[in-house]
Amino acid sequence: MNTTFKAIVLTAAVIVLASFSMAIEASAELTAKANHDHITIDSFYHGSEVSVRGICDPDVELVVKITSPEAHQTLKQKGKVGGFLWMNVGTLKIENTPNLYMLRATKDMGKLMASDESEKYIIGYPALSKHAELSPVADGSEKDKWFGEYVKFKENSKLFESTDGGFTFGDSGGKHTYYMKFAWPYQAPPGDYLVTVYAVKGGKVVEQATSKVQVEQVGVVKYLAGMAKNNGALYGIFSILAALGAGFGVGLVFKKGGGAH
Amino acid sequence: MYLYLPVALTSVNILLPVGLGLGVGLLSGLFGVGGGFLMTPLLIMLGIPSTVAAATDSNQIVAASTSGTYAHWKLGNVDFKMGIYLLVGGFTGGMVGVQLMKFLKAMGNADFVIKMTYILMLGIVGIYMLIESIQSMKKKEAAVSAKPAGQSKFGAILQRLPMQTRFEKSGVTHSLILPIFFGWFVGVLAAIMGVGGGFLMVPVMVYILRMPMHVVVGTSLFQILFTCIEVTFLQSYTNHTVDFTLAVLLLVGSTLGAQVGAVFGRKLKADQLKVLLAIIVLVVTVKIVFDVTLEPSMLLGMGGGH
Repeated sequence: MNTTFKAIVLTAAVIVLASFSMAIEASAELTAKANHDHITIDSFYHGSEVSVRGICDPDVELVVKITSPEAHQTLKQKGKVGGFLWMNVGTLKIENTPNLYMLRATKDMGKLMASDESEKYIIGYPALSKHAELSPVADGSEKDKWFGEYVKFKENSKLFESTDGGFTFGDSGGKHTYYMKFAWPYQAPPGDYLVTVYAVKGGKVVEQATSKVQVEQVGVVKYLAGMAKNNGALYGIFSILAALGAGFGVGLVFKKGGGAH
Repeated sequence: MYLYLPVALTSVNILLPVGLGLGVGLLSGLFGVGGGFLMTPLLIMLGIPSTVAAATDSNQIVAASTSGTYAHWKLGNVDFKMGIYLLVGGFTGGMVGVQLMKFLKAMGNADFVIKMTYILMLGIVGIYMLIESIQSMKKKEAAVSAKPAGQSKFGAILQRLPMQTRFEKSGVTHSLILPIFFGWFVGVLAAIMGVGGGFLMVPVMVYILRMPMHVVVGTSLFQILFTCIEVTFLQSYTNHTVDFTLAVLLLVGSTLGAQVGAVFGRKLKADQLKVLLAIIVLVVTVKIVFDVTLEPSMLLGMGGGH
C-alpha cells in the first residue's frame, strides 16, 4: 500500500515537472531550416548560398552559427630570422576548432550576452579562442596573438566569418518568422556542417534549434578526386600520358614551329 | 567562366590559368626553362595550395616541354646525346638533393637554406648572364668576328679529362664526366629549391659546355621533359597533389605558348635571348628578396611551400 502511494506521488511529480518544462519550451519557440541542406560540387561549382529560416519568438535576439566538426589543424608560422629575414620558423598546432566557423547575429555580439554565456555555447571569436588549444604558445598573450593571426588567415580563406545584421522578420499564420542567408564559400571542403540557431533573451540563451548542411562532390569532380586519392599511380600515369599527348598534338597541329618557317 | 579543381579544392576563373600557361609556355619555348620559378608562386597567388601548385606545375611542364622539344627537334635544335648524359647526372643529383633536404628539415633550418640558395643562385646566374651577354653584344658591334674560343685555364683542364667524346649536334668535344657532373650538381640544387632547374641548366650548357644557344634551348627542354615526368609520377603516387583539371587548363596555354616561343626565338639572336633570360631571372630574384625582407600581411600560411 505504502509503495503504491509512493509510486503515485512520484508519477504525479514527473508529470508536473514535464508539463512545466513544456511550458518553458512553448514560451520560447524556435525552429531552423537550412534551404540548401545538400550542396553538390560539380565542375562548374563556384560556391553557393545557404539561407536559414524558421519561427522564433518576437522578443528574442538570434545568433546563427555554421560549423564543421572540430579538427586538428597545422599551419606554418612566419617569423624574423637574423633580424630582417621573414621566413617559416615553426609549425602552429590548433586543436578544438572547426575548419569552418560562420556566425551572424541580429545585433552586436558583444552586447548580446556576457562572456560566460557565449563561452558556454562557443559563440564569437573570443569564446572560440578560449575553447581552442594552440601550441606552442608560451602564455595567454602569445595565444591571443596567434589566435588573431589564425582568424585572419581563416577569414582570408573565407572559412571564418563573424558579423551582425542581415535578418528579415515577418509573420506567417500568426507566427513570427526570421530569414537570413550566408554566401557559402567554394573554399569550404566537402563534409557535413551543423547549423545552430540560438534564441537569446536577457543575455541568456533560452532556446536552440539545429539543421544540417551536407557538401558533397559529384560527377567528374568526385571521380578525379577519388582517383587522385585512392589510385595515385594510375592517376599519375594518366596525367603524364594526357600531357604528352597534348604536347605532341599541339606540336603536330602547329606546323609553323617546324622547318616550314 | 569558373571551373572547380577537385584536388586543389578551389574554384578558378579559367582565363587565369590559361593565360598564365600561355605566358610561361612562351618563356619555356624561348629560353628552354620549365618556368616553375614563375608559375608556382603565381598559382599560389590564385589560391592554389602550394603543394598542389608545385606538383601540378610539373604535370603541365610535361606538356609544354613535349610541345617545345618537338618544335625544337623539327628545327634541328636538340642534342639528344648531351641531353641523356645530363639526365643521368640530374637524376642521381635529384636523389641526393632529396636526402639532403630531409637532413636539413631534421636540423630545422631548411627554409633558410632554401631561400638563401634561391636568392644566391638566381642572383649569381642572372648577373653573370646579363654582364656577359651585354659585353658579347658590344664586342660583336665592334667587330663581327668568330666566337672567342674561351680556352681559359679552366677550359684547358676540362679538355684534359678522360673519356672525351664528340657531341655532333652541339659541335663540341667534352669528357663524359662533364655533363654528368654538372647535371648532378643542378639536380642537387633543383631538389633543394623544389624547381626543375632549367634556369641553372641553361647557363651550365652555355658557359661551361659551350653549346650554341639555340641547341641549348632545345636540349634543356628535352631534359626537363623527363625530369617532370618523374616528378609528376612521384607527386601523384606519394603525395596525391597533382590536380589534373588545373594541369589541363595550364597546358592549353603553355603548349601553344611553347610553340610560339620556339618560332619567336629563331628571330632573336643568342645574346638577345640571354639578356632577356637574365632580366627575367633578376626580376624574380628581386621579388624573392622583397618577399623575405618585407613584413608579410599574414604570419600564418599553409605548409608545404616555401
